[in-house]
Amino acid sequence: MSLAVVTFFYILAGAAFITYLFWRKPSVILAARALFAASIASHLLFIISLAWQGDHLPLLSPVQAANMMIFLSSLVFVVFAFRKATAVLGAFFLPAASFCLGLIAPSLQADQGAPLAAARIWYPLHTLTVIGGEALFAVAFVASVVYLLHDSVIRKGRIHSTASHLPPLKILDRILSACLSFGFVAITAGMIFGTLWASSLSVSFAHLTTKASAGAVTWLVFAFSLHQRFAIGWAGRRTAIITIIGFILMILLFVTLNVLFPDAHGIGLTQ
Amino acid sequence: MNRINCLSINYRLAPIEIREKVRFSPRDFHDLMHRDAEVYTLTTCNRSEVYWTDIEDGEIFRKTSELSGVPEAELYPASELFKGREAVRHLFTVASGLDSLVIGENQILGQAKEAYKAALDAGTTSVFLNKALHRAFRTSKRVRTETDIGRYPVSVASEAVELACHIFGDIKGSSVLVVGAGEMAGIAARRLKDRGAKDLSIINRTLSTACELAEELGGIPKPFEGLKEELTRCNIVISSTGSPTPIITKPLMDEVMKLRRNDPLILIDIAVPRDVEPDVGSCYNCYLYDIDSLKAIVDRHATNRREEADKAGAIISAEVELFERWVNSLNAQDTIRDLFGLADSIVGDEIRQGVPEGTEAALLEQKMQASLKRLLHRVVSFLKEHPTLANIENTRRIFQLDANYQDRHKG
Repeated sequence: MSLAVVTFFYILAGAAFITYLFWRKPSVILAARALFAASIASHLLFIISLAWQGDHLPLLSPVQAANMMIFLSSLVFVVFAFRKATAVLGAFFLPAASFCLGLIAPSLQADQGAPLAAARIWYPLHTLTVIGGEALFAVAFVASVVYLLHDSVIRKGRIHSTASHLPPLKILDRILSACLSFGFVAITAGMIFGTLWASSLSVSFAHLTTKASAGAVTWLVFAFSLHQRFAIGWAGRRTAIITIIGFILMILLFVTLNVLFPDAHGIGLTQ
Repeated sequence: MNRINCLSINYRLAPIEIREKVRFSPRDFHDLMHRDAEVYTLTTCNRSEVYWTDIEDGEIFRKTSELSGVPEAELYPASELFKGREAVRHLFTVASGLDSLVIGENQILGQAKEAYKAALDAGTTSVFLNKALHRAFRTSKRVRTETDIGRYPVSVASEAVELACHIFGDIKGSSVLVVGAGEMAGIAARRLKDRGAKDLSIINRTLSTACELAEELGGIPKPFEGLKEELTRCNIVISSTGSPTPIITKPLMDEVMKLRRNDPLILIDIAVPRDVEPDVGSCYNCYLYDIDSLKAIVDRHATNRREEADKAGAIISAEVELFERWVNSLNAQDTIRDLFGLADSIVGDEIRQGVPEGTEAALLEQKMQASLKRLLHRVVSFLKEHPTLANIENTRRIFQLDANYQDRHKG
């Protein structure tokens, strides 16, 4: 199984969901869901094959982490794709996922990953929880974009036929709230596991490097968003805007820092 | 036909800022009326219109500007002037609900009838406009019964339901607040209740009126002082009071939204002048729609009704034709000619039915014609001296001068 095949399935599923946004036929959504299921299955097979080849979870390089994030966010998205009210979100999520997969595909095939030196429990726990949290933020990001789009359409009174298929604002806000809450818990846990992993390797604080502090910045953005939401009542548009800013910041930090510091946190995994 | 005119300030050209200033009553035009002049005014949330006969257009514009405080230069581009046949067609179209924001809505007919009652009370309508209005009401009835225009019952309330569905998913869990107990508010409330709104509160300055509406709809009447509390509790607010100033202000809504912890709130303001300050729309998670902003949403539903509107257009054309025929008959010379024609035909019939023995038919016919003409002379002289529409119309009715005279009595 190659990533090109996986990406192809994602593109087909995305096209089917876009068709469903404009043409609400039961057969269209059935086909879209089937293609999406095929995408997930092929993606899972691809990750298993990577793990088989490398003899470890494919999470060691930034590109593998990005691949895992796309897979986990697709897994989260299954919940929404199979619900009538939220299925159209696929028209936004799947094209974005396809684009990201297309972007990482060339690097991922060449990347064999580095062997996991220290057989510690903390590293996979750290990476899986952090990437899981980021995957939830990715879904929250899509929900935020759709929220702002639908909100603007409603405010202008332009509820034409395509916009009328978008999920209601209240549902989008619930998705946003759930993804942010669970994502925040996951990232917090990931940071704790990361600290435990670093301390188990007796790494000094200086070695925690900019990567960890950048992670803390993202964590703070989402902590602020959740605080404003639950303490002050910033439900809706403002939460959506903060989520979009936070997610873009997270991606920028992820890309920039991984280009500057290619090995995990500068610690090095071969020991 | 050319004597009837209409000045319409409606939702198509006039923004709400102008519409809410232009409010007519027939008595406002009393000082312009002389001799045969007639005036009828219709004011709803979407339009203010005045129909008149035998008054200069310029005088009406000047008066409208004076009454509303809107300068004539601003009034011209925001208004439509219909003359003669087009004015009649416009009246029939408006009464049938085909010129409404929501095509085919039937609230306009009730409003047109109310306006007619006001004009009758003020004594500003007479033969011409009475006839035109009766024809308009008849046309509206025909349109409703002979087309399917009423099968698409899209109203402001339906749009409120639609908006609520876009925001909340459905309205089953929503609490609805109706501010004002007028007809529009009642219709809106009924529709929301039918669609499954959780509860319904009705607030009105006069509590007894709120109680009546609440009893009718199964809602809960609330005193006007409880407005802030209800705004905090409810999810959908429909406001339709006759208040000349906004009752839901920005400072009030700032407080309300703080108390609601910014839980989304839909405010539908169908009142003109507006009940809700436009600035309220900038409150966080507050969705404010006035009658103009509902227009875009309504347009989405217009396609199906447009086909039926074409059928209704044919009915209106036929009715305008009938009215025009009636108008053309309102001519003193023609009426006098018809009267003499009637006399000749009566005499002719009598002669044909046979004359007594020993009488000369020609002499008898001559005498009978002379007698009838002497009798009719008094009517003809009166008509020549007082050729008013009312006199002509009454003469035609009394002597049944029209082939379809029974139709003449139907209105």
